[in-house]
Amino acid sequence: MRIAKTMVALAATALMLVGCASQKEPAEKAVAQVESSLAEFRADAEKYAAEELKGVEASVTKLKNNLASKDYQAVVLGAPSVASEVTALKDAVATKKADAEAILAAAQTEWTDLSAKMPQMVEAIQSRVDILSKSKKLPKDLDKAGFDTVKTEFESLKTEWTEASSQFASGMAADAVRKARGAKARGDAILAKLGMNS
Amino acid sequence: MSTENPYAQYHVVKKGDTLSKIAEEYYGDKMLYPKIFEANKDVLQDPNKIKPGQKLRIP
Repeated sequence: MRIAKTMVALAATALMLVGCASQKEPAEKAVAQVESSLAEFRADAEKYAAEELKGVEASVTKLKNNLASKDYQAVVLGAPSVASEVTALKDAVATKKADAEAILAAAQTEWTDLSAKMPQMVEAIQSRVDILSKSKKLPKDLDKAGFDTVKTEFESLKTEWTEASSQFASGMAADAVRKARGAKARGDAILAKLGMNS
Repeated sequence: MSTENPYAQYHVVKKGDTLSKIAEEYYGDKMLYPKIFEANKDVLQDPNKIKPGQKLRIP
């Protein structure tokens, strides 16, 4: 009886060892596949979905830890779920990247327009400010306080425009456009105050 | 061919206008009329001779 029990135990152990060994290769392949899929778009994921990437990386790490612990069954069972997480992340990154590129393209188009108009606006205002600064009086509808405000606002406009140009040159197109819009709005107000917008 | 500045201001000469009157209207100072003459030398040969209908740039 004792010999039979021992033989059964030995057989069970042998079967278990064979089973584990036969899952090793599929487990290794599954981890390699998940890592390879993630590597294809990791750089974009870091740029467009950094937080989401951290979550997926945690899942991949858990899978690798199971592999290192030789828990091949856990790897084989868990790999499909992690693979789905990677696919979902890839889709999310593609969407965010496309959105970001569309925003950049729109900003660059708007910048082209602003960068043509702003220097012309500055030139027109500068000319009038220079002439009025030589004037013994000011035109009707513009008093000294108003002209002082115009000059102060104009200096702010020029500073804003310079900053916007610098931002654009540094690759910050969306920020540059936002600042340039502000400068243009300031310029429109100055032109109105000078009676030059009709 | 020069590109017109879209923010430049223009004045269409009316009957009775002079460059001095125009300078007083836009600058508050009639003595600044040479500024208008200089800006419009392509259409004006004499600052005392302007014609109704002329479109003058007011710098």
